Amino acid sequence: MLEKPSVIKRYRLHIGTIAWILHRVTGLLLVFYLMLHIWVTHHLSQGPAGFNKVMKAVQSPLFLFLEIGLLGCVLYHAFNGLRIIIVEFSKEGVEAHKQIFAAMMAVAIFLFLVGGVPMFIHFLHTLAG
Amino acid sequence: MKFPRTSGGFYAWLFQRLTGILLVILLIIHFAITHNFPKGGGVTYAAVAPRLATATWKVFDLTFLVCALFHGLNGVWMVVQDYVHSETAQTWIFYALCTLGLILLVLGAITVIPFKA
Repeated sequence: MLEKPSVIKRYRLHIGTIAWILHRVTGLLLVFYLMLHIWVTHHLSQGPAGFNKVMKAVQSPLFLFLEIGLLGCVLYHAFNGLRIIIVEFSKEGVEAHKQIFAAMMAVAIFLFLVGGVPMFIHFLHTLAG
Repeated sequence: MKFPRTSGGFYAWLFQRLTGILLVILLIIHFAITHNFPKGGGVTYAAVAPRLATATWKVFDLTFLVCALFHGLNGVWMVVQDYVHSETAQTWIFYALCTLGLILLVLGAITVIPFKA
């Protein structure tokens, strides 16, 4: 087991480090969502009444708002994950890792806005009743 | 590509990447079809049940389930290995994650496999 040398108080926050931290945080959140998703979907076994009841619960304003965060986590994790694979499997990827990160994040942010803005409007409508 | 001789950790690393790529593809299909993209619409029993009762979607959903559980729990395991330094604790957490994965796999499978609309 490697110990962190005692002289190091804190690692410097390079782009790669921030990307790595965010990948872990979003990954853990997505595992939590996956468990919830499997449990919610299991209500299908109870027929229309049971499933529609649980779906109604997870379409409350709170969940609609959290779903925007879910979209963000999925997009970040997916596009940063693709970046990791590109960087690990190609020499060019290692050299241009910052540019690849920027490009991936540009696509992720674009898709987040495309999906997130309608979701936010839908959330506001539900909130207003 | 020639891979070096390695232990089990190599396969965990490789499958994390393979399932990752697969999950991006499966997720796009899952999301687009389930949420009736781009028109949208409520995810109700009436809307999803006929599709989920077909063999094609059962295979799709089971593949999705296995990939997501492996990728997610293997990811948690990687985080655990970085922060939990006691080997005994690591072993216990490893078995706990395997058990959790098995429970979720069964829960997902008994939802998907016998489903009739």
